[in-house]
Amino acid sequence: MALVLLVPTSCSDFLERSSLVDLDDNTYWNSEGNVRLFVNGAYAYYFSGYSDNWGSVYAPEVYATPYNDDRTLTGTQPNILLSVPKDNWYRNESTAYRGTWLSHRASAPWNFAYIRKWNLLMERLDTMKENGYLTDEAYNHWMGVARFLRGWDYSRFVQSFGDVPYYDKQVESADIDAQFKDRDPRTYVMDQVKADFDYAIANVRADDGIDYINKYVVSTVAARCMLFEGSWLTYHKNDEALKTCSDIDGHAKTFLQAAVDYAAVTINSGKYGFNKDFRTLFGNLFTTLTGTANEVILYRTYNKSVNNSAQHCYASYSGGNNARESQRTSGNFATLKAWICQDGRPYNSSTVENVESFRMQDMVVTRDPRFEASFLDETWTTPTGLYVQKFIDREGCDYFWNGKTSPAYYNSCTNENGFPCIRYAETVLNWLEAKAILADFFGGPAVTQADLDKSINAIRTRPLDQVAIDKGVKKTAPLTLAMVSSMNDPERTSNIQKTTLGYNTRGFCSPLMWEIRRERRMEFFMESVRTLDIRRWGWLELMLSTNNPDIGVGGWVELDLARNKPADNPSQITNLKKTKNGVGYNLLTASNKGVVSVRHIEKVNADGSIVLGPRVFFDGSNYSEMRGFLVPQNFKDFDPRNVDVRNYLEPICTDVINQYKEKSMATGNNYTIYQNPGWEE
Amino acid sequence: MFVSNKLGRIFAAMCALLLSMGTMWAQNITVKGRVTDSNGEPVVGAYVLVEGTRQGTSTDFDGAYSLTAPRNGALVFSCMGYRDLTVPVNGRSTIDVVLQEDAMLLEDAVVVGFGTQRRENLTGAVSAVNVSQALESRPIADVGRGLQGMTPGLTVRVGSTEVGSDPLFRIRGHVGSYLGGSSPLILLDNVEIPSINLVNPDDIESISVLKDAASASIYGAKAAFGVILITSKKGAKTETIKVNYSANFSFQSLTDTDGIADVDALHYTVEAAERLGTYTPVGAFWLVDRAGYNAAVAWKEKYGSTLDPYAPMVYGRDWYLDASNRKIGVRTYDPYVYMINQGAPTQSHNLSVQGKTGKTNFNISLGYLGQSGMLKPTEYDDFTRYNANVRLSTQVNDYINVHAGMMYTNSNKSWAFSTNSTTADPWYYLFRWGPTYPLVPTDEFGNSLRNQVYEMGAANEANIKTNYTSVNVGATVTPLKNWDIKFDYTYAVNNSQEFNPGITYWAANLWAGGQAVKDAQGNFVTVKNEWDQYNNLGPSIIQQTLPVQSYTSSYDSYYQDSYTSIRQTWNITTDYSLKLANHKFDFLLGMQAVDYRRTGVWGKKMTLMDITNPQFALATGTQTSGGTNSWNSTLGFFGRVNYNYKEKYLVEANLRYDGSSKFPTHLKWRWFPSFSAGWRLTQEPWMQDITHVLSSMKLRASWGMIGDQTVSSSQYIPLISAQTTYWMHSGVRDNAYATPAIVASDITWQDIVTLDLGLEFSLFNQVDFVLGWYQRDTKNMIVGMEGLGYNLGSPPPNGNYGSLRTRGWEASVNYRKIFDNGFSLSASASISDAKTIITEYGSALSIGGWYNGKTYGEIWGYRVDDLYTWDDFGLQPGQWAQLEQLIATDKYGRYYQNVKGYASQGKITSGSAISGPGDVRFKDLNGDGIIDNGSQLLTIKDENGNDVPGYGDLDVIGNTTPRYEYSFRVDLGWKGFDFSMFWQGIGQRDLWGGSALTIPGFNSSDGAMAQAIAGNFWYETLDASGKVIDARYDAFYPRAHNLYSSGTGFNMQVCDRYLLNMAYLRLKNVTLGYTIPEKITKKAFIDKLRVYISLENFLTFDNLRGLPIDVEEIPGYSILNSSNYNSSRTGVGAPAFKSASFGVQLTF
Repeated sequence: MALVLLVPTSCSDFLERSSLVDLDDNTYWNSEGNVRLFVNGAYAYYFSGYSDNWGSVYAPEVYATPYNDDRTLTGTQPNILLSVPKDNWYRNESTAYRGTWLSHRASAPWNFAYIRKWNLLMERLDTMKENGYLTDEAYNHWMGVARFLRGWDYSRFVQSFGDVPYYDKQVESADIDAQFKDRDPRTYVMDQVKADFDYAIANVRADDGIDYINKYVVSTVAARCMLFEGSWLTYHKNDEALKTCSDIDGHAKTFLQAAVDYAAVTINSGKYGFNKDFRTLFGNLFTTLTGTANEVILYRTYNKSVNNSAQHCYASYSGGNNARESQRTSGNFATLKAWICQDGRPYNSSTVENVESFRMQDMVVTRDPRFEASFLDETWTTPTGLYVQKFIDREGCDYFWNGKTSPAYYNSCTNENGFPCIRYAETVLNWLEAKAILADFFGGPAVTQADLDKSINAIRTRPLDQVAIDKGVKKTAPLTLAMVSSMNDPERTSNIQKTTLGYNTRGFCSPLMWEIRRERRMEFFMESVRTLDIRRWGWLELMLSTNNPDIGVGGWVELDLARNKPADNPSQITNLKKTKNGVGYNLLTASNKGVVSVRHIEKVNADGSIVLGPRVFFDGSNYSEMRGFLVPQNFKDFDPRNVDVRNYLEPICTDVINQYKEKSMATGNNYTIYQNPGWEE
Repeated sequence: MFVSNKLGRIFAAMCALLLSMGTMWAQNITVKGRVTDSNGEPVVGAYVLVEGTRQGTSTDFDGAYSLTAPRNGALVFSCMGYRDLTVPVNGRSTIDVVLQEDAMLLEDAVVVGFGTQRRENLTGAVSAVNVSQALESRPIADVGRGLQGMTPGLTVRVGSTEVGSDPLFRIRGHVGSYLGGSSPLILLDNVEIPSINLVNPDDIESISVLKDAASASIYGAKAAFGVILITSKKGAKTETIKVNYSANFSFQSLTDTDGIADVDALHYTVEAAERLGTYTPVGAFWLVDRAGYNAAVAWKEKYGSTLDPYAPMVYGRDWYLDASNRKIGVRTYDPYVYMINQGAPTQSHNLSVQGKTGKTNFNISLGYLGQSGMLKPTEYDDFTRYNANVRLSTQVNDYINVHAGMMYTNSNKSWAFSTNSTTADPWYYLFRWGPTYPLVPTDEFGNSLRNQVYEMGAANEANIKTNYTSVNVGATVTPLKNWDIKFDYTYAVNNSQEFNPGITYWAANLWAGGQAVKDAQGNFVTVKNEWDQYNNLGPSIIQQTLPVQSYTSSYDSYYQDSYTSIRQTWNITTDYSLKLANHKFDFLLGMQAVDYRRTGVWGKKMTLMDITNPQFALATGTQTSGGTNSWNSTLGFFGRVNYNYKEKYLVEANLRYDGSSKFPTHLKWRWFPSFSAGWRLTQEPWMQDITHVLSSMKLRASWGMIGDQTVSSSQYIPLISAQTTYWMHSGVRDNAYATPAIVASDITWQDIVTLDLGLEFSLFNQVDFVLGWYQRDTKNMIVGMEGLGYNLGSPPPNGNYGSLRTRGWEASVNYRKIFDNGFSLSASASISDAKTIITEYGSALSIGGWYNGKTYGEIWGYRVDDLYTWDDFGLQPGQWAQLEQLIATDKYGRYYQNVKGYASQGKITSGSAISGPGDVRFKDLNGDGIIDNGSQLLTIKDENGNDVPGYGDLDVIGNTTPRYEYSFRVDLGWKGFDFSMFWQGIGQRDLWGGSALTIPGFNSSDGAMAQAIAGNFWYETLDASGKVIDARYDAFYPRAHNLYSSGTGFNMQVCDRYLLNMAYLRLKNVTLGYTIPEKITKKAFIDKLRVYISLENFLTFDNLRGLPIDVEEIPGYSILNSSNYNSSRTGVGAPAFKSASFGVQLTF
């Protein structure tokens, strides 16, 4: 009978069991701390850095597949996109749903989860303010953060798809018309984005703790987004895809001016400069550089030992150990030609001693210091012979060359160096470019020497580290307006440029613009910036080697010197860098007959530009001819269908299009979403 | 047999008691005697009737009887479970008889919800499992495997052969609910158990399968998809003490050992790479190119049959560095040789004591199972289980009987901790890396090689240790003779602990580059290059070695987790029987409450000080920890009425009022009724003339609705859950709270409504037929809301928005006969089928998802004509250059122009692939000249606004659901020998593969693949002049390609030609036993001694064309990860095995 007493008598209590570990949306919003925790979940998406573990989205390109003209791999160049994908949509904010398209375009997939997140937060902030859970100051700050992050995500949507449906509040599940609305013109969307940014700039705190979003983060990112849109409208103004928009020039001007104004907030704050050498920015282990390196505005740190899995894989692709994480792609001849020399002039007009040599050992001491910081000073086993060492510290790559086992934080996906997600160099370069476009096309004031000194020349004052100094690396001379007008880089007006959309729209870019773009290419090499840049400038055509043959050519190699010392031919000279284990870089072997080829310099034109000769293949005995620019083995150009005007925008995936169709069939209403030009089926 | 026998006796005794009341005696002689069974045991409660009258008595506890009978009359002895026996009196005053057991009739008493019913009186779809056939003398680890094929409508799928894994159960159809469970409720003595693996097969007295709503509804909230009702042995009914001992020793070996390709895999890899324009070596760390492949073929010829597989790997012979320092493997390694231990032993022992002394009866049992996995490199691959079980009850006084029981199960799953990944464990890599990936233990310097074999051998032991303790107390109060009140309370604790001790290895790094070897003077050492004729590296090459390194991956740590779940169950029932003339009533009222709580905690500490003794205390690094906490509860009140009119018309009604913690307060409680009725036609007077043929016949029907709540808790609350991100602030990873999803606040019970019709009849008292048909509707099914746009930015809310319907049928036939010479024969067969249709899911039209009318499990794909031939392009073999001239481009993609008018495949061949000779040629089903999948919608509007099919050339080409499950068995017995044979099969099941074992070119550069593919794909080899010197044009599989770890892509699409036909027929068990004659064993005080040999899974017939996967395979399912094991790659896991065993059963 006692058992009866054990039976819970109150039926209602017995069955009341809501989650013990989760919080409830209805009761969560009661402190500023909770708002911060809610926003924290978005950092890895917005500030990817080196991503995490084996992730590659928005992260440096040494591990991912190449989709810009800075990188080349062996064999057939991989397709960017040939057919409309089925399911590039997500509705989850987990980092796993950032989407594979990012590796193609460094832009965003069809994922409205973040838009909903910020719209929801804004509604909750209003309620919190009404209920007295937030001070006005805190409300303004977090509202600014929410609007900043919503604007940034919409900006990415626009970068990917052009027109997108715009929602400024949460979509209710019952609101079918809203869920199936058609796309809004990108100019309309970006007007809303600008309004968000204006609010954010005015209200986000100047300091909300180290590596939290602050006014200067907003300033730099907002300027980036506005520069993208302003320059897109400038160089793509005749695109069929912009037919839905009105007043394109007016919008371009507005957005470019916003970019200048936003960036000026950071520049005028006087808080930022360039006091640390370049390589340290990317190789710093375990701790943040924010506050130490005054060009870092927001830094992502990794530290596996503190908390397991706060780690990435980029250093392991930078340490030279080709047998493990090999670089499938690397810089090419076009990259090498673009790099400025220490006198501040391009290779074809520079007077630096030995500047005509493209040997890596020579280039590291004749080019801008960022060259030495980005590349191994020898050729090595990558498709182009160039090996990128930008994303590891100086110590990390020594282990391999010395034949020693390196610590785990340089191997596999257990790397722990940090990444400068937002840095001042970008602020000043965005600011400068926006000013220059305004000056060139929209009647803005001309760029002054003072502008150059605040931007490009400030970057060039970056200190050098001892390793670079010991090699003989020197800082690059400042850029002056006089120099700009005197150096007429033949590459700028070459036939290659005439094939590009940007040229078709606005004519050759000005000599100053050419130098601004060059500075970006050097500063952000392999940082996923170039892909977006060549798209907005209308330069996608440069990715076809039929237009731009230099991308099908690698670095300068001296393969006869690089051979291993073979046992059957001990007299063979070998004087190039090899590991302590005797492993070298030897391509001249029997099985590579007819496979390995180089191109010699045929002549140098009067304007200093280089003309390459035909491919010379290794025939088993022509060792001495195997000095020249390495051609990636079995190199075959992109399928030309990849490089077409339609490829400037992503298609809307078929699942989304079909879902609109399905809804129309189901409801009898006409829900349609138009496809981007050239992708219609 | 022993089990049901006892049960039969109780029931018969009760009947006999009823019968004896008010019986009148005739004035005749008195006959006494004793009734025993074939073992000399008294038969209690046997009826003894005077033939032709209703006079009679029943036997007492000693089997004795006494009655008066006509001097020239005859006595009929009958007892449930025995064959009737008629004995003429012939004036004798003492008649002792021996009743022969009749196994067929043993099933007459069936355990149902909170009670027992005679089989002929059942009105619901209930099957009693023949426990002895299913579980005795079989080398199986768990009850689940034993139940496979035993009952039509109960599907048991053994999706993983990993030792210790649970099979998957379904009753009547494979899906009942989208987000909830579709599994039956498994009850041991009316209390839910977490795994059927916990039960010692030897402790089971009976198993009933409750299949329809009417019979299952009494269990309420979790019984919607049927109930497997297990009762445990409770003790003896008579004053005896019996000791049973049984033991089984079995040995496992692989069913298939030559399914993985050797050098042919290299051939495929090279062909695929060259097709893609890659002439440099490809592969994962150990590469292959044309030269390497040719060298491997030569190696195989020279060493394949002579070299000891364990001979160390030698540079220059087994591998070399090519000119670019890439490792080329030449020697091929058969993974089965290094990984599989043929003949892995398993043993089980069971000891039980059953008895009764005075008013107390008891059952004590102990069980042990020790099962070894088949992994050869490690000693840590086994599953052990200890069971201890005590049941006792005592009659306190005339009114009160109290009982108590305790069940304890301790199991230990152990494996080598070389990885903690369950999406890529060593099996994954074994079926991933190609045949040249070295699996041999050492190289010529004696260094261990870093491979799966070494890592498993060196790894520490990981465990999942489970302790399940269930304590049960209760009482039965009998205030009146026909009135029982039962109280039962069970407290069950399941504690599971997982231990992952890390390891630091020290081995040559097979992923690293080679290192040149120098002698003491610093000069390079050279060795002979055996394959110069292929690789042109010269006759001697510099000796290379691989760097010997210590490495830990990320497992230099100790990890332990532990969770405890506590389930308390209160059952209170009261039943009352009422008999009014021809009207019999049974009433049952009850309540059931279940309280479930689960807590878990885990901890991890990095940097081990001593890898041979991994411990928290002996680690110096960072510590991390976490935990979980959840709870739920159900409460139900129920009643049942059974009505029986003259054993002819049978009616049952149930009503249950259920509450669940999973729904919002105002929607927690619901009423669920069910009804069933039966009509025993052969009880009708007008049927009596044919009962000599049609011995019995019953029609039954039932309808019922059960509420289902097997969905996760708190779905109606917009939860904000915690997460730890990889982003760090101030040196620690951020905590974050996620965005709340959109929820439906009115989520409530799913209604499972079942209509069931049954027909049971038997002919000549020897052949029994059971036929059944049913329809089960899942109404108000909880699914994500259909039709919400992707632009919503949230997954759709879950709610009661869907419905589905399963219809199925079952048929079984049993035949049993004992011939006069003692030879016994029984045979049985059964078949069942079920098909599920989605009946309500918004207005969806997408064929990729659910839509109204969709058959659950259907596979949409293309139909294949054949492979393209050269002729199709108007070309001769080898004319690849001419083929290039035929490339055309339309807006969808590129294709070769054929001369036969076949449709363009440019739209579905992704990337730069073009379908040419040797590639799959799909059928243009809609005749529009383009092979495509349209809008993937069932209907679209055409340009005239008419509804037309919108799925292009797709068609439903198969279904993943197992259909037409059948089984049959034969049992023979003669003079102590018994023989049984049990076959089980599936008539139809399709699967689209997703692994190198099932899809040609799945990831050809990784290397491993099925020999059935590597030896049967289209290729063509040209000499330098372009002349065809070798080809295989009649291949089943298409020209080589690399699909980069996908089941589709390029020229391969889901299609009928390469769909896996998973139908099979398998000889599950063959047993031959011999019971030593009692007169011999009696001398050793042994009541019964039986020895047997048993073979399990010895023969399989399938349609897999030699692909090395098991027919019962369920991709992604394993004990370690039930949804994405080894990335859901088909067949990539512990391989299927067969086992041979011998055993002994002893009773004294």
